[in-house]
Amino acid sequence: MIEARHLTKRYRNTTAVDEVSFVVQPGRVTGFLGPNGAGKSTTMRMVLGLDTPSSGEVRVDGKLYAQLADPLRSVGALLDAKAIVGSRSAANHLKWLADSNGIDRRRVSEVLDTVGLSDVAAKRVGTFSLGMNQRLGIAAALLGDPGTVMFDEPINGLDPDGIVWIRNLMKSLASEGRTVFLSSHLMSEMALTADHLLVIARGRIIADASTDEFVNGRAAPSVRARAIEQDDLVVALRERGAVVERCPDGSLTVTGLDCAAVGGAASAHGITLIELAAQVSSLEEAFFDLTRDETDYRAGQLTGSTKGN
Amino acid sequence: MSATTYQTAPARPVHAITISRILKAEWTKLRTLPSTWRTAAFALVFSIAAGAVLVISQADQWAIMTAAQHRTFDATSCSLFGVMIAAVLLGALAVRSVSAEYATGMIRSTFASMPSRRLVLAGKAVTVAAFAFPVALVSNFVGFEIGQRIFAAKHLQVGLGHPGVLVAILFGAVAVSLIAVIGVGLAGVIRHTAGATTAMAVVIVGGLTFGQLLPARVRGYLPGTAIQDAVTVHRSAGILAPGTAIVVLGAYAAIALGAAAMRAAHGDA
Repeated sequence: MIEARHLTKRYRNTTAVDEVSFVVQPGRVTGFLGPNGAGKSTTMRMVLGLDTPSSGEVRVDGKLYAQLADPLRSVGALLDAKAIVGSRSAANHLKWLADSNGIDRRRVSEVLDTVGLSDVAAKRVGTFSLGMNQRLGIAAALLGDPGTVMFDEPINGLDPDGIVWIRNLMKSLASEGRTVFLSSHLMSEMALTADHLLVIARGRIIADASTDEFVNGRAAPSVRARAIEQDDLVVALRERGAVVERCPDGSLTVTGLDCAAVGGAASAHGITLIELAAQVSSLEEAFFDLTRDETDYRAGQLTGSTKGN
Repeated sequence: MSATTYQTAPARPVHAITISRILKAEWTKLRTLPSTWRTAAFALVFSIAAGAVLVISQADQWAIMTAAQHRTFDATSCSLFGVMIAAVLLGALAVRSVSAEYATGMIRSTFASMPSRRLVLAGKAVTVAAFAFPVALVSNFVGFEIGQRIFAAKHLQVGLGHPGVLVAILFGAVAVSLIAVIGVGLAGVIRHTAGATTAMAVVIVGGLTFGQLLPARVRGYLPGTAIQDAVTVHRSAGILAPGTAIVVLGAYAAIALGAAAMRAAHGDA
């Protein structure tokens, strides 16, 4: 379990993390979602005692990180898969980590097996692809069999197989009762993997809710429609009190009526529908919807960057 | 809210288990880098070779040396000249053992697994110093033996039993170990391999080059000259006693490591 209370990190001119309070519960995958530069990595570094909070605190299993006797047995973390000295072999990298926390060296081959790197255990890490480095970082996180695992952008650089593998691994770790805390700027991925979401923007937590709640509780349901007699359909729907918007692709987005009502209106006016579909709101939309409320947050900054930090 | 409401004093589990684990982890790190063993081999070969070259040239020049030069001639320190090469190479190894982690960012894995940062730096220093010691000791012994055999042709040789010889061989290796500690400290402060390696070279060689501009009694206290003084048997003006030279190097090592520990403890990794 991870608990942050009024956690704040200020640099000279900016506040990277601003009075953040949250609890990451065991037994489920908690996604830490936010655009790049929102404060995700800074928060995670403070959890690990690497960055010192300007004020507030964060505890793991009720203890400050520095108070954990063998930290790798409590928290396993992957922050940056490329942050590794390349001339050592994968197995040797895990061996020093095991030695540092009094972990049996047999765990090294076990976790290499778990992440599928047994065949390249003796190879220099410098020859690894980013995806292999991610797997090695996950092996390192699992080494101490910790109750809490934390991964910063773990699917960066993974192929589709690897992404599915991570998704299943996260879920199985959570089902074993572990606390799984996972950051990403990829909302679609979070919608599939996370049970619970912490949404951070500009250093502040702007949502703390289950993924379903977050997605469905926000955007109003809408219907996408297109007809041969498009203008007649607009008039007919507006007569029935719907809000109709014309999309750039020529279709209509209708809110206030469901599919059956739109279809009924069309047939009553002898209009031929060529497209009719309920719009499932996505996590993306919910996210943009939410951040639009942040007065000082502009969409340009959400889409502007592509690289994790 | 007030931050201090929640903050309890961080407990410091500074006990034997932590220290032994840090040493074990740092030794695993050091011995699993291929460059560690390459550097040790280079240090042995080049320091022995450098000592032999100096001995051969000194033996050749014996006939044309002045009487004053004959009086201060030191067969031991000539044959142990390679200790400077060992100091440069093993000092650079010590630098890399720290700077490579800062350069790649692996230092975060190190501090996340071992949060007592000052102990980690001390552990690195102890590990690399303990590794450098036997390498330097073997190269000193071999360098001495080869050197004395060359000198024997001119009847200039001294034996292992000669007063001060064993101390010179031993203290030469201690000096190299202390240079390794200085290397860990410099890298902990500078954190870039190139910058810290350059600083390391200046620390060692600077005393022998720029240091010549200083008065002799000051020059002896520079780290580079202190290494040479540690292997000198024949005492003359401006040369520190071997024990004093080791104390001087120890003081530099403590300052460098202390500065690195302070920088690591305060601030974000």
